[in-house]
Amino acid sequence: MMQEKLLEVENLQKIFSTPRGDLHAVDNINFFVREGETLGLVGESGCGKSTTGRMIVRLSPPTSGRILFQGQDVHSLKKKQLKEIRRNIQMVFQDPFSSLNPRMSVSDLIKESFDIHRVFRKEKEREEKVLEIMEVVGLSPRLVNSYPHELDGGRRQRVGIARAIALNPKCIVLDEPVSALDVSVQAQILNLLDRLQEEFQLTYLFIAHDLSVVKHVSDRIAVMYVGKIVELTDYKTIFKEPLHPYSRALISAIPTPNLRKKKERIILEGDVPSPINPGPGCRFFPRCRERIDSICKEKEPEMREVKPGHFVACHREE
Amino acid sequence: MGKKLLEIKGLKVHYITDDGTVPAVDGIDMEIEEGESLGLVGETGAGKTTTALGVMNLVPDPPGEIVDGEIIFNGENLREKSREAYRKIRGNKISMIFQDPMTSLNPVYTVFDQLEEVIKLHQKVSSSEALQRAKEMLAKVGIPEERGEEYPHQFSGGMKQRVLIAIALACNPALLIADEPTTALDVTIQAQVLEVMKDLKKQFNMAMILITHDLGVVSEICEKVAIMYAGKIVEFADLESLFTKPSHPYTVGLFNSIPDPEEDVTELTPIKGLIPEPTELPPGCVFHPRCPDVMEVCKGSFPETVELSPTHRVACYKYHEGIGGEPK
Repeated sequence: MMQEKLLEVENLQKIFSTPRGDLHAVDNINFFVREGETLGLVGESGCGKSTTGRMIVRLSPPTSGRILFQGQDVHSLKKKQLKEIRRNIQMVFQDPFSSLNPRMSVSDLIKESFDIHRVFRKEKEREEKVLEIMEVVGLSPRLVNSYPHELDGGRRQRVGIARAIALNPKCIVLDEPVSALDVSVQAQILNLLDRLQEEFQLTYLFIAHDLSVVKHVSDRIAVMYVGKIVELTDYKTIFKEPLHPYSRALISAIPTPNLRKKKERIILEGDVPSPINPGPGCRFFPRCRERIDSICKEKEPEMREVKPGHFVACHREE
Repeated sequence: MGKKLLEIKGLKVHYITDDGTVPAVDGIDMEIEEGESLGLVGETGAGKTTTALGVMNLVPDPPGEIVDGEIIFNGENLREKSREAYRKIRGNKISMIFQDPMTSLNPVYTVFDQLEEVIKLHQKVSSSEALQRAKEMLAKVGIPEERGEEYPHQFSGGMKQRVLIAIALACNPALLIADEPTTALDVTIQAQVLEVMKDLKKQFNMAMILITHDLGVVSEICEKVAIMYAGKIVEFADLESLFTKPSHPYTVGLFNSIPDPEEDVTELTPIKGLIPEPTELPPGCVFHPRCPDVMEVCKGSFPETVELSPTHRVACYKYHEGIGGEPK
């Protein structure tokens, strides 16, 4: 069961300079993703989950810290090695309406990566490959010359996925791949992602705000709050025994379509704080119901392994 | 329960476009009693928002038009009202909250200005009384009074939605229509806003139509549910019946599409296919091309509504006597 670590993130930090001060979008996070597993990254808007994803695929340079893919630092590679890594880490974006070039047909969109990486040079081979990939993601071959505006959200997202798997990558960063879709379509895409993972032994980093979706797809889940990972464990434990007060509130806030199991709801007070010039203490302190005033405000809690594989950053657990 | 507050009979709203007529709402019936909340559930393009705009008489015309049906509010048919008379009802007796709190507020007026506007428009009060009322409303939705002097951009998403709720409730409406009020919000903020809405609904004894695609939200706050698909209400029931005995194949499909965080399911069973193009709706039952239980008769005409119990009705041939083979 213990596979190799495909992706490792070490002390990753991203600070944006703004007129009002330094915005700590991602602040010293650590995690790894094993080969063939799905790590879910959940959190509310502005917690830094997308920024993390963008740094992993090198769309944005980190302020400090390292991202290792198969042991190589993604951000210090030479051009040639970089191309190889780019081929192996792909990304699917949230909004299938703005992430596809409206002037390219489905076939061109899928073929684009063949051009960049100079594979399948013969036209006939390329066309066969396009049709093959379209079939894999469940797109009818008659759509091969369609343009994005002619497709609905679900089909567009399938094109986005087709582009991501075209070069047979090892790892895909999925940034909210289903949140723009209707529930019935969402379920179709989730099943597709599941099937592809099995078929091509893919490793997923699944970024989303919807905990029920994340739980459905993930092996392990990391909960982020204002630039920090506050808890990381397997998908069952995070629901059964969440240790961080924020994880508990987040889980209790999901409206479940189930009348029998109405649970106790924890209503958090106040809003998510600004990540600009955060104070020295725990980021969750102002909204936490279990805060210890003497410590939580002054000292930032360290991430600790409280049980094998269960990491949490909270003074209560020290 | 109390008396009927709103009754919609055979409402049809069509959009006339270059590509043909879109029957966005195609003959729907529903009723809401005083103080009751109804969840109107469906996917994009089902006609939920158009139904709400129909009740508010805000359907963009052209291309939209209410072509048929009655909207009876407090015993009066709203469709016979003049524009002036409608204006006195809108924002006063019937209020609406829109999905996107970021764009529904005017950025150049303070929150107090926007609250006072609706109060002065509908009630004969002095400026100081209006301000007093505005302060009370802010307190009710849990916003500190002094923040009323601020502008919308100084508020977070959850706070803006609460301001909108305060504006909508300022005149003590009998009916509130909330169009996806929490969809744009994060879950912990959504929980806060739902809590405020639940609380105020009780305090004001107000009826509510909650438009949403999220059955989880419905189960938190509604007593009745209407499931819409391609302009039709396919199932209408009390909350308990709908969640324990979903009967229309589309409703069943919706439930099976949602990952339940309490259960460990490895594979979801989504509804096959896609929502049809609104200009090319299939003949017969609009759901038949995607339906797992489709029969020959479904391809002919849209099924009549059948009562499974006094509070549960469904439009599906499965429940028609002599056809479905599944008599109730």
